[in-house]
Amino acid sequence: MDSSLFQLLNYGVYGTAILVMLIGLYGALVKKSLLKVVIGLSVMESGLNLLIVALGYLKGGTAPIFSEGFLNGSNKIMVDPVPQALVLTAIVIGFGVTAVALSLVIRLYRHHGTLNIDEIRNLKW
Amino acid sequence: MVGTPVLFVAIPLLAAFLIPLLGMIWKELVRIVPGLVLMYLMVLSINLLNHVLVSGPIVEVIAGWAPPFGINLVFSAFSGFLVTLMIFLGLVVWLYSYRFKRNVGFEPAKKYFLLLMMLITGAVGIVLTGDIFNMFVFIEITGISGYGLTAFYTGRDSAEASFKYLMLGSIASTLLLLAIMILYSQLGTLNMAEIASKIHTVNPTYKVISLILFISALGIEAEIFPLNGWAPDAYAEAPGPVGAAFAGIVVKASVYAIIRYIFTIFDISGAYSFLIIIGMMTLIIAETAAIRQDKLKRMLAYSSIGQMGLVLVAFGFGTEEGVFAALFLMLNHAIIKSLLFLSGSYLVYNSKDKKIVEVNGMHKFLPITSFLFALGAFAIVGLPPFAGFWSKLSVLTAAADSHMLFVLALVLIVSVIELVYYLRVVNRIYFFKKGENVDPKKPTFNALLAMIVLGALILVIGFYPDVITGVIHKASADLMDKTKYINDVLSIKQ
Repeated sequence: MDSSLFQLLNYGVYGTAILVMLIGLYGALVKKSLLKVVIGLSVMESGLNLLIVALGYLKGGTAPIFSEGFLNGSNKIMVDPVPQALVLTAIVIGFGVTAVALSLVIRLYRHHGTLNIDEIRNLKW
Repeated sequence: MVGTPVLFVAIPLLAAFLIPLLGMIWKELVRIVPGLVLMYLMVLSINLLNHVLVSGPIVEVIAGWAPPFGINLVFSAFSGFLVTLMIFLGLVVWLYSYRFKRNVGFEPAKKYFLLLMMLITGAVGIVLTGDIFNMFVFIEITGISGYGLTAFYTGRDSAEASFKYLMLGSIASTLLLLAIMILYSQLGTLNMAEIASKIHTVNPTYKVISLILFISALGIEAEIFPLNGWAPDAYAEAPGPVGAAFAGIVVKASVYAIIRYIFTIFDISGAYSFLIIIGMMTLIIAETAAIRQDKLKRMLAYSSIGQMGLVLVAFGFGTEEGVFAALFLMLNHAIIKSLLFLSGSYLVYNSKDKKIVEVNGMHKFLPITSFLFALGAFAIVGLPPFAGFWSKLSVLTAAADSHMLFVLALVLIVSVIELVYYLRVVNRIYFFKKGENVDPKKPTFNALLAMIVLGALILVIGFYPDVITGVIHKASADLMDKTKYINDVLSIKQ
């Protein structure tokens, strides 16, 4: 692949990731349904994870596994393994937060009988 | 040496996961084990702090990967001081809630102590770690256990307060991770010391974006205006001891993180003035909001936010004297605000709305609790001879020495506001007639003991500030010496 084309593609991936994050943020802040707010938060985290993985990518890099195949193969470039490890951690944390959020949503629904934020919010913001 | 810094993270985490299993053997173990763990950690942290004050920081390498590749824990005078403070407050909160005020079943009690241990693990980890991604993980641990503790009571609006906290917390964690990745993409390292030694090579645009993201993410946890929307609700809806734990442990850890980023990692001098500006805004807006509150715990929450603003102002002077004042203020705020939350929680115990008017004439029914609340109120306003006086005095002298007379004047004006709303409550406790349908509750023995320990500490620090100022001086010198921090960490070879 041409180098400038690769650069362009790279920026495309970054842009998409940031766009996904902004869509998630929009959902979390604007939507009225609590479930959609939780979905928005998850979408935002996914966008960030995409961005992190994209940051660690090198042109033509293979999976960062030190093996026979890598030693004997012609391709000697590995992608950066650190962002991938970070993303795994971030996904697990995101899973935990989403689980807590959904359990709170269930409790709010039982208490108020609705998921609409406007009808629930009696605490001053 | 009796132990290493990694025990501060490993032992409470292990205890947290063992609590449900131990509860199957004997139900009382659920309450006893956290106390034993915290007592052991208290002894350990005092020992290590004494060692560190004499012979320099302990840098511990985890899993045999020397810095900058692996994660390292740094127990220096500065971080050790904060760890000791947090563990002490954890111990007090445990003592206070050993027997709950309400009849709480075994299941909720188990979850409460589990989450409390997780909260302490996370907060201590934030302070000890030397790796920015590891700090992110600990911030998340603290956050998730904080959401759980806020939603402890099923009856009240606590689920809403918790959801609000969770929403802001998740947005904060996204911003924080983004900031970490911006730094990583520029420097290729996550180790704080190595980032600090290379930060001058980074393009200023990336540096500023990253710092702004860091401050806004951590500002949500540290209750900085305008990111503190969650705090009053969470404090008001969570149980009293959890409020004390937030004020004493979680917020302290987040402020530590902000300070570590500004003082050690980044080399942007404008950040100090920025700290003063956001600190002043937080202080003024929170204190004026506090005076308008009609619920006791919300008032205390706003006062807590204001105090954190003052801490940031003191850090913002950027001098060693300012750092000393800020650390002294953090210590006093942790002790005094915890006492106010713990005793205030009894004063409004049986009322439905937790209004301030319902504390009328409480001193006849709860003499000791009322006395301790009044003691805390006088101390936090800064009346001599209590602990708060010395910290406020050192903030004012630090301001005067940095030629920031405008800041000095504003702090004094805000102190008057503070005096008004605290004296209003104390006045109601002592000189008003008790309301008709208020039913006071006698404190349990262990709660009384916890409050008396805090009250005694306020008096001890008030009369003999020298017992603690030596440690704080060394801690502030340790924070200011950035080169030494970098050398200490990067010189470790495995």
